[in-house]
Amino acid sequence: MPEPKIGRRTLLHGVGTLMALPALEAMAPLGALAQSAKKSPLRMAFMFVPNGIHMPAWTPATEGALDLMPSMQPLAKVRDSINVLTGLTQHNAEALGDGGGDHARSAAAWLTGCHPRKTDGAEIKAGISADQLAAQRVGDRTRFPSLELGCERGAQSGNCDSGYSCAYSSNIAWRGESTPVAHEVDPRAVFERLFGGADPAETAESRKRRETYRKSVLDFVMEDAKRLQPKLGVHDQDKLDEYLTGVREIERRVELAERANIAGRLAIADRPTGVPADFGEHIRLMCDMMLLAFQTDTTRIATFMLANDGSNRGYADIGVPEGHHDCSHHGGDPVKQGKVQQINTFHLKQVAYLLEKMQAVKEGDGTLLDNTMLVYGAGISDGDRHNHDDLPILLAGRGGGGIKTGRHIRYKNGTPMTNLFLCMLDRMGVHAETLGDSTGRLDQLI
Amino acid sequence: MTIERSTRPDTPWRPGPFGLVLAALLPATLLIGAAAGTPSGQAKRVKPAAGVPAAPGFEAQAAPFFKKYCVACHSGPAAQAAVVLNRATSSSSVLQDRKTWEAVSRNLADRHMPPAAAPQPSDAERQRVAGWIDGLFAKADCKLNDPGRVTLRRLNREEYDNTIRDLFGVETIKLSGGQEGRPADDFPSDDVGYGFDNIGDVLSISPLLMEKYVNAAERITARAIATPEQGAVPVRLDLASALSSTAGSRVGSMGRALASNGEVTAEFEAKRAGEYTVTAVAYEDHAGDEFAKMDFRVDGKTIRTEEVKTRQRNPASYAAKVDLTAGRHKIGFAFTNDFYIPADPAKKTPAQDRNLYIFSADVTAPAGLPETLPASHRRIMICKPGDGLSDEQAARKILAPLVSRIYRRPAQPSEVERLVRYVHVAGQQGESFERGIQIATQALLCSPNFLFRVELDPKPNDKSSSRLLNDYELASRLSYFLWSSMPDETLFALAAKGALHRPEILAAQARRMLKDPKARALADNFAGQWLQLRNLSLVAPDVKRFPEFDETLRRSMRTETEMFFEAVVQEDRPVLDFLDGRFTYVNGPLARLYGIDGIEGDQFRRVALTGDQRGGILSQASILTVTSNPTRTSPVKRGKWVLEQLLGAPPPPPPPNVPKLADDKKEPLTGTLRQRMEQHRKDPVCASCHTTMDAIGFGLENFDPVGKWRARDGDNPIDASGTLPGGQKFAGPAQLKQILKSKRSQFVKCLSQKLMTYALGRGLQTYDTCKVSDIVASAAKNDYRFSSIVTSIVLSEPFRMRRGDGGH
Repeated sequence: MPEPKIGRRTLLHGVGTLMALPALEAMAPLGALAQSAKKSPLRMAFMFVPNGIHMPAWTPATEGALDLMPSMQPLAKVRDSINVLTGLTQHNAEALGDGGGDHARSAAAWLTGCHPRKTDGAEIKAGISADQLAAQRVGDRTRFPSLELGCERGAQSGNCDSGYSCAYSSNIAWRGESTPVAHEVDPRAVFERLFGGADPAETAESRKRRETYRKSVLDFVMEDAKRLQPKLGVHDQDKLDEYLTGVREIERRVELAERANIAGRLAIADRPTGVPADFGEHIRLMCDMMLLAFQTDTTRIATFMLANDGSNRGYADIGVPEGHHDCSHHGGDPVKQGKVQQINTFHLKQVAYLLEKMQAVKEGDGTLLDNTMLVYGAGISDGDRHNHDDLPILLAGRGGGGIKTGRHIRYKNGTPMTNLFLCMLDRMGVHAETLGDSTGRLDQLI
Repeated sequence: MTIERSTRPDTPWRPGPFGLVLAALLPATLLIGAAAGTPSGQAKRVKPAAGVPAAPGFEAQAAPFFKKYCVACHSGPAAQAAVVLNRATSSSSVLQDRKTWEAVSRNLADRHMPPAAAPQPSDAERQRVAGWIDGLFAKADCKLNDPGRVTLRRLNREEYDNTIRDLFGVETIKLSGGQEGRPADDFPSDDVGYGFDNIGDVLSISPLLMEKYVNAAERITARAIATPEQGAVPVRLDLASALSSTAGSRVGSMGRALASNGEVTAEFEAKRAGEYTVTAVAYEDHAGDEFAKMDFRVDGKTIRTEEVKTRQRNPASYAAKVDLTAGRHKIGFAFTNDFYIPADPAKKTPAQDRNLYIFSADVTAPAGLPETLPASHRRIMICKPGDGLSDEQAARKILAPLVSRIYRRPAQPSEVERLVRYVHVAGQQGESFERGIQIATQALLCSPNFLFRVELDPKPNDKSSSRLLNDYELASRLSYFLWSSMPDETLFALAAKGALHRPEILAAQARRMLKDPKARALADNFAGQWLQLRNLSLVAPDVKRFPEFDETLRRSMRTETEMFFEAVVQEDRPVLDFLDGRFTYVNGPLARLYGIDGIEGDQFRRVALTGDQRGGILSQASILTVTSNPTRTSPVKRGKWVLEQLLGAPPPPPPPNVPKLADDKKEPLTGTLRQRMEQHRKDPVCASCHTTMDAIGFGLENFDPVGKWRARDGDNPIDASGTLPGGQKFAGPAQLKQILKSKRSQFVKCLSQKLMTYALGRGLQTYDTCKVSDIVASAAKNDYRFSSIVTSIVLSEPFRMRRGDGGH
């Protein structure tokens, strides 16, 4: 007897991620999820590494065609799809009279271009970040306006950096000037949030009931909050505003979920099982989550902090058991610099993993990577000097076509990094006059 | 400068971005003041007494200094940065221009002023004058009796979990990943400010967290309140791995294809007897002149036969009802009319093949409450509709006490009324009364009145309007301070009587609560952050060099210090025991690390400490490990830890230009760790802070990066001697500890500040200075016992009062 042929994995083909991919139930029509073949969406992502980079092994000697430096060798297979941008600067991460705290400032200023207010808690303030600006303007096109990923939770105690609240060094995404957006560190939790949430045995009827209740609960709490609002002082009202924003965001998502009903259509064979002990695997799993979210058009905007700034994680697996932050204060010692370089290369290997996967996903005539703009880099250049000019920045992807890649572009040192973000926002369809300390738009990209 | 000051970015001046070069600025007085056993600077000035001059006068303390170092630039119409300092003639004129003089103090202390090119005051001079200015304002502020204002605090993760535990007895739920865990394990981490994660200003709510709250509320209430519907949730049968199948392969995740006549079965356990519904989603490959026939079978007996008329593109659901007895049953689906004609190449006819696909199958139990109800269910559902009560009346009766417990204050009738509608909402969906209460409880758990600790003011934006907290607000402040959870019945009852605010009752309650097992939360959350024990989960000692370190030891280290802390709390010991307690708790792995004989296994035992190697937290492996680098000790980190966490004298931040020094092509440093650090300290800019930090850290060099005692580091003997800036010398950890013990009031002040920050959920301000001094004075009278500090805090104005907001 011939075996019946039931098509599975017809949508999410071509991606051999670490985990087995979500497979569509055969009964589900594919149309709603499948990406339009005509025009693939454009994605924007930012990946952050702490403590600076060993720059002599990063910056190519020549401009023009990209010659990969030793640290960047892992990127060989995607060389033609990336640009190395030299000379970009986050002036607002400098002390500007505030003394120590470069790690806190480097993370807080990285995507905001704003000078964070020095405070250990009261009235924290930076500015809206590039990703969140995009999420607020065009994020309503997908179920999740943006996705925030990381590998380290915020600090559990103590003062993170010279009088700065830990909120600064452990967040790069800022919804508003006083509201950092926390990231998730558990790949399983991310997966469940994006694709799970539905018990496979739950009937359509009971799911519908649950959503009705959920809406009604949200109505109730919205009313509660509105009754409370006028009775509060101004700072308390700020806190309640955050709450109201959260409620509205979920209301919107409940509606979108109803329309797309993604949860009901995805059956998941194997899910991530939590935070792996191996750091590389942890990073790669989070990369998988970003990739899946992009591929299924669940979101188009993502940030990913490989580690919080000032992280003193040891990298024993690659022969660097010393802490990263400790090594980054190399004091000119070539041994320590070599260790920093080893860590840099390790990080870039994980980035290469993601970029290669993106390149393997076909979309229309191109690839997912072609339809992406991914910024990778740090908010500190040399970890020993804590300088925030001449930052190590890499821009991967062709941004939907148009960005010429495979190049090393040298800008005048001191060029605001926010000028790059304005260009990216333009391409996302978000027009912003300025962002943080921007002075215009970056040239030579297109 | 031991009190946190709010940062004011709008200060009259700041050094420009040029980075002023400042040389040889020694914060040597960090320890000197206390070295002689006197409290430093501000602590000495305790209470404002009317009519007595605030501090030694302007003429004596400040005028000569300003004349010598400041007024050359800062005077007249052309004053630098428009800051004029020559007009001040008295303390009161300084008090009148607070903004300017606070900036003067800060710029002096941070060594931003005078600029490098100008003559430099000594560090002691800086400290004295800055301290004089601060003291002047602190004293003035004390007279204001400002209780301060806490920003609306949401429950942090620990508080959320504990509150859910105390509300419902629910400790764990099924998390989003399917595993069992505490509800907040799914939440993102809480940001930390002023060293703690319960600070109103930095506890924010993101949409992600809001979503987690909604999910958690659904899962918690499912555990807390039983509904008739919960038993009636369809249970999916796993046909894919069924044992008795005669044909076919897997379809979907749990279904099966039958290509020949045959049956596929799965086991199902009926929890109780009743009418069950068996449902199958199926489709056929059509061939011949019949549709595929599917038999529903229970324990081998056919109960119904269906013709499956639908195809793969739109499968349909087929159902059969059957009475089951309680117990195991075999549910089966059979294909009974297979049809197959192979393709005939000669006639060019395609194959004809009828197949049956069972895509999924479920069994649904009849609705009904489970036989054993959760304790929380029985506690909440105090009545039922019927027996003369309408649905609404019963809901009202149930919800009024529930709302009060969840909101931690008496419910208002209108609040209850709004929730009563949920029994209608559920009814409209064809669901039960219990389900309605369950949904209402979900709404309560997502309400801002539950998630935030709301304290409403009559004049929320009037800074000058302060008030005593009401008894319910006080009950919550107490319970979240000492238990990280909601008030218990005793506190609620005292609040209802309006008695809790009476000082003797408040103090008695604090003492009662410290003895309660729930006070363990202080070890988890206060000590976990004060001593930075939580960071133990992040350290990664190089196990090649320190093979004794493993996950068991990591956990044991934390447990030791937590148990030690708990002992001080529970036995109400003097807090000086933290510095030199003559006992500790060890298990086998720790005993081996400490060289204590005769203790094996994982159980912890209390041991008396003899000799002078160990005693107090500074010789506990947890602290020594958390302040080390993965491959070596870090005297800097250890010294900084002692200054910040024990003495409340954090080293000032490095001058703004330090990083640039690395631009010099200097030679890498060589020699032992200590020698290299001493070379480093020859650089006067580094020396300013490192003299103190490093000296303390060197004193602990006998402890390796995982806290094991050592006499040598590699080939070099350990040199654990040092000299503090005040000239005090020590020859090793034991003597260093004696010096620290002599600074008892500085230590107690530091601990009181940390506890107060934790209790209030805000950073301390200048106006809190004298409140802290009162606490220290009162503790001194009570042998520095832990409870005396706690009760003083609880009775203090900042804890019992609040005021309106001063605006943005």
